[in-house]
Amino acid sequence: MTCVITGAGSGIGRATAVEMSRRADYDTLVLIGRHSETLAETKICLENKKKIILKAFDLTDFGAIPILVQDIFMECENIQCLLNIAGYTEPQALLTTSLENMKTTFEVNVFAPFVLIRECVRFMRLNDRPSKILNVASTAGVTARPGWLSYASSKAALVSLSQTLSEELAEYRIKVYCVSPGRCATALRKKLAPDEDQTVIMQPDEVGRIICDLVSNDEYCLDGQNIIIRKK
Amino acid sequence: MEYSAIILAGGAGTRMKQASPKQFLLLAGKPMFMHTLERLEKISSIKEIILVSVPQYRELLAANIDAYMLQKKYLIVDGGESRQQSVLNGILAASQDNVIIHEAARPFVTTDEFQALIDEPCEDAIYGADIPFTVLLKKNGFISNILERSELLNVQLPQKFGRQPILDVHQRAAAEGKRFTEDASMLYYYTGREIKILPGSHCNIKVTEPIDLILGEFIYKEYIIGRD
Ligand SMILES: NC(=O)c1ccc[n+]([C@@H]2O[C@H](COP(=O)([O-])OP(=O)(O)OC[C@H]3O[C@@H](n4cnc5c(N)ncnc54)[C@H](OP(=O)(O)O)[C@@H]3O)[C@@H](O)[C@H]2O)c1
Repeated sequence: MTCVITGAGSGIGRATAVEMSRRADYDTLVLIGRHSETLAETKICLENKKKIILKAFDLTDFGAIPILVQDIFMECENIQCLLNIAGYTEPQALLTTSLENMKTTFEVNVFAPFVLIRECVRFMRLNDRPSKILNVASTAGVTARPGWLSYASSKAALVSLSQTLSEELAEYRIKVYCVSPGRCATALRKKLAPDEDQTVIMQPDEVGRIICDLVSNDEYCLDGQNIIIRKK
Repeated sequence: MEYSAIILAGGAGTRMKQASPKQFLLLAGKPMFMHTLERLEKISSIKEIILVSVPQYRELLAANIDAYMLQKKYLIVDGGESRQQSVLNGILAASQDNVIIHEAARPFVTTDEFQALIDEPCEDAIYGADIPFTVLLKKNGFISNILERSELLNVQLPQKFGRQPILDVHQRAAAEGKRFTEDASMLYYYTGREIKILPGSHCNIKVTEPIDLILGEFIYKEYIIGRD
């Protein structure tokens, strides 16, 4: 059973891959990120019971995603789970937000998950057991975040995309989850809040554990919602 | 036993007040006809699917078969002047000994229901439901006679027939210029054959009026995917 993880070279994606490698639900993990070095570092952190495939790939290369997904299917013979964790932000005030900023943010945070989901669903439809898709949005997608216009609006789009697909894909027995973490100690968060003490906020492994719980074979009641993950 | 599935997918859709015919409207995010095709794809004894439609929708049908990566053998044939002629065109194109006749405007038939029709030992079988309301005969705007409700049947699709018997009666009806609203009536009229009635679901509505599409979304959620 294969699980594809984007953003696996750092932060929440890496922590999820590490946690997933300790669990029995999936025997093959496909790790996607732009940099082969960081993916290789993630691989070193994993328990080595599973088949691990590294794919250095820029997810804004939309035209190549169908081939990427097809290659994964050929190599693994199934795609059971897709975790869209990769994300991008360049926080700016409205008057300094360029169209480029908007475009890149939506490309990584919305268009890439959309194309990946579309291509994976072609194969997931054929699975005997229920398949799972999980998208990492953000609490920024459901509340006002002055200064984070492109990021917050892209995450809102991802929340909506997840909810729509959770119904549209239900007949294929594909469950669509959406999680929205609050502040979590990663490089992306550093960009959003440069002065914050990251030792006192939620850590990536805490989010990773919840993601793994949601896409485990035992969970089948929590899809179709925007699940907030926050350390109180 | 192996089957050709004949799917009527070509009415002009004037009653729906929509630009595109109803079979192409999105129901729960998917073109209406695709609900049926995806379920038929899962049934191994269906060897080919014949879509009967008007010529201008050929490309659209083919593009969707492609986009949904459907695997079975598909034939798209032109419909005729009437429903009866369209069915006949479908039967003529069929290569298997048995046919299933269905229409794209009935998207709430599950894979299990198609399978149960196939598994029914009687060669000719249809779905039908009781009529939960009273039906009377009328003439010139007045009631002309009563009918016994318990003896009446709401005839549904899908239906299955041996290809040769249903072809024979269609050709006979065509030669005689005789019209039937559906095929079980025609087969029974000419041959008196035993046609088995399987209990149909009241969710198996035919999407005809605009309100049916709204009701259909509820039926889909409740009956097909079981969501509230
Ligand atoms: N940290 C938080 O407080 C927080 C809160 C809510 C939601 N989130 C979300 O959590 C997810 C993970 O972020 P993180 O916090 O763990 O930050 P992170 O460590 O910076 O991770 C972001 C990941 O996205 C990948 N990525 C970015 N652009 C890409 C592209 N074009 N192609 C492929 N991969 C790309 C990066 O990999 P490469 O650079 O190697 O390509 C990186 O591994 C994001 O979706 C983020 O929005 C984070």
